[in-house]
Amino acid sequence: MQIQPVMSASLSQNRTTISTKAGLTEPYLIFNISLAGVIMLIMIYSGIFSPDKNDYPVVCIHEKITGEPCVSCGLSHSFSLILRGRIDEAYQWNQNGMRIFIFFAAQFLMRILFSGAYLNHPDSRKQLIYYDITGSSLLFLTAFMPFLIYIFKFS
Amino acid sequence: MEEAKSNSGQNLGIAALITGIITFVMAVIPCVGMIAIIPGIITIVLAAVGLSQAQRSDSPRGVIMAGLIIGIVATLISFSQYFVVGKFARNFESDKWPEKIENIVNDVQENVVRDLEDANVSIKVEDGDDTVEINVGTNKSDKEKTLEELEGADTTSNVSITVTK
Repeated sequence: MQIQPVMSASLSQNRTTISTKAGLTEPYLIFNISLAGVIMLIMIYSGIFSPDKNDYPVVCIHEKITGEPCVSCGLSHSFSLILRGRIDEAYQWNQNGMRIFIFFAAQFLMRILFSGAYLNHPDSRKQLIYYDITGSSLLFLTAFMPFLIYIFKFS
Repeated sequence: MEEAKSNSGQNLGIAALITGIITFVMAVIPCVGMIAIIPGIITIVLAAVGLSQAQRSDSPRGVIMAGLIIGIVATLISFSQYFVVGKFARNFESDKWPEKIENIVNDVQENVVRDLEDANVSIKVEDGDDTVEINVGTNKSDKEKTLEELEGADTTSNVSITVTK
């Protein structure tokens, strides 16, 4: 009579471990964690390099070849300035900096929220993925529209 | 064993999808768009290997196909950046370069002429105790002053100025 509760406790523990393991091996969750990591790296890059020192390792190849700045020049400066709260200066460096920054910030939040929803609502997982794809695509088109126009204008 | 078989190629598919999306974002940014062709090719290779593994074990191919399609589109966009740069450079070359070069040449010419006008040359030769110093000033303002002085001088006297070049 005394053994029964111990056994049931150990069984429930095993079940929890199995469900957590299954959750972490889900392709959607791996995908979300990886993308959130990449966005974090972008934010860290913008935070580490200073716009005042101008020590960014990434240079514009377009400008190097043509000698003229392109539509995405000054994006790193703009991101760094937004992170430091200097929005006016960020606009001066790149007009599209803010919308691209919002895209990345929104994507970071979406990865966390959608992962949470995916784990908590196993019945509507497919629906969630469709919402995610649609929302992210629209957000991408809105944020990167000036760049896409620029590419199609010249290609 | 059966479960392991059904998942083969899935990890490569996820890797291809993640790389593909990063490549896609990179490809539409003109500054780094041309470099995106490298991760684009990596994405296609990852997806192709994953797809072949999935075909062999008859496992789901949705993620792998998504990775492959995004990778191909991203690579094409990245490739189009080369045309963008080429066309931009050609436009820039044909429209602005001759004008810019002409402006630069004119600026340089003006600067050289201005510098020569205001030049002061001083030559000093020392030989033991003897020292000879020649100062030649070509200041335009000085010349104008001298000319004014000459013009203002008594013109009744016969003064002849000979300029030898």
